[in-house]
Amino acid sequence: MMKDRIIEVISNVCIASEIFEMVVSTDDFPDMVGGQFIHIALPSEAHPLRRPFCIADYDTAEKTVTIVYAVLGEGTKILSKVTAGSQLKALFPLGNGFDLDESFKTIALVGGGLGVAVLPAIPTTWPDREYHSFLGFAQASKAVLIDNLNRKSKIYIATDDGSLGEKGFVTSLLASKLNEIKPDAILCCGPEIMYKSLARELEGIDIPVFISLERRMGCGVGACLVCNCKVKTAKGDKYLRACVEGPVFPMREVIL
Amino acid sequence: MSNLKVNIAGVDFKNPIIPASGTFGFGREYNEFYPIAELGGFSTKGLTLVERDGNANPRIAESPMGMLNSVGLQNPGVDYFLKNYLPWLKTIDTKIIANVAGSTVEDYISICDKVSVDGVDMVELNISCPNVKAGGAALGIDPKNVEMITRAVRDACKKQLMIKLTPNVANIADNARAAEAGGADAISLINTVGGMVVNYKTRRPVLANIMGGVSGAAIKPIALKMVWQCYNAVNIPIIGLGGITSYTDVLEFMICGASAVQIGAANIYDPMASYNILKDLERYVAENNIDINELVGTLKV
Repeated sequence: MMKDRIIEVISNVCIASEIFEMVVSTDDFPDMVGGQFIHIALPSEAHPLRRPFCIADYDTAEKTVTIVYAVLGEGTKILSKVTAGSQLKALFPLGNGFDLDESFKTIALVGGGLGVAVLPAIPTTWPDREYHSFLGFAQASKAVLIDNLNRKSKIYIATDDGSLGEKGFVTSLLASKLNEIKPDAILCCGPEIMYKSLARELEGIDIPVFISLERRMGCGVGACLVCNCKVKTAKGDKYLRACVEGPVFPMREVIL
Repeated sequence: MSNLKVNIAGVDFKNPIIPASGTFGFGREYNEFYPIAELGGFSTKGLTLVERDGNANPRIAESPMGMLNSVGLQNPGVDYFLKNYLPWLKTIDTKIIANVAGSTVEDYISICDKVSVDGVDMVELNISCPNVKAGGAALGIDPKNVEMITRAVRDACKKQLMIKLTPNVANIADNARAAEAGGADAISLINTVGGMVVNYKTRRPVLANIMGGVSGAAIKPIALKMVWQCYNAVNIPIIGLGGITSYTDVLEFMICGASAVQIGAANIYDPMASYNILKDLERYVAENNIDINELVGTLKV
């Protein structure tokens, strides 16, 4: 049986320009893997749709889940004002998450903007691999989760304006290090334009790539069919559900 | 003596709580949260003769106290439903309403024929989708077309036939009368209210389809009014829906003339919504020793 859980907010703080980190806890803590998401009900009747956030990290011993979110619209603004000790309703973990084959020993994690928030939970789930994290941000003031990923991986940073790390796109930075690192797989989350540029950089290179897609979502459990992603299947191009068949898909199967 | 059993056009429902089409899939997802057999029944995702991919995304947007959707009837097709979903649904002790749609009158006739099988208790006709015969407009708009399509499928449909009315019309009571004249056994209302959500910063609509259908608490007053109007216009039973999120909403719809209700957007907000509304309603009728049927149409005016 699946269940709707009550989560308690442990902390909810601004960690970068218009970006917040929220840590929540529940006694009845379920198993989860990197790449899954949490669907949170806002404490506002006027805003009835839940908001899906990737599980940025989790701690089974402490029974906590961490999310990192940008204050973009009314919903995230309301969420940013939630205080420690508050209780919210949430469905989690949802979605397929990543599935790391045994043969993936060296892994490149690639995040663009808040897409980096998908990455820290991956080494938490599979700690016995070698990780290289490629993090791209618009500018230094938007950089998040660097300390977390620095503990678990070797990190490489690019910013659009050069205010942190190298100036330029993180996908180019990744491409420049491929021969040196020789990753067995690339796991990536970012805006769709980044996936397109990643696909170009990797043309002719035979490394499995898995990406996590973001969609406006309804029920989160597979019933309402609003979070459709166009994916190549044996029966042709089909709309699959980000909430159940995704949000993680092999990049080369996604119609971007 | 307290009672929640209702009878809609000869079909017995163990209670009046019925998840609405498009918000409940084919029941499997919610059965992971609670036994859906406890519900009166549910209306399936809208079925078409052949599989449909539906609209591009985004397909959902929020609006104050509500939401908009423009899924575009994505569904695996009626044959897939009959082969892959219905056998499991037959094992669930709840009433199954097959919601069907078409783009031509012939489509509607053949799909009504196909779903008239064991395991389907009722057919709900979605006449709010664009139709070739009506020049791309929905058949549900003009009362003449409502009567025409109801009459056209009446013989092919061997199950109780319910016409789902759209609120985007001149006078919904006329459309209710047209459904009754065409031979409908029941009507359900309201479908979503046409709407848009716009982002002033990007100057773009949020929905890829530009327009969508509004549901949720925002449309409840519209739905209550229309249920009351139709209750006063026809003798066939009404299943009321539109923004129901609590047991008190259920009571209000029944007082306005609904013999049962459907729960829509609330299932999307909260997977436990229909179940929780049912449990609250059970408590209310027990505590007040009410037969729910006695409430129907008792609005004091």
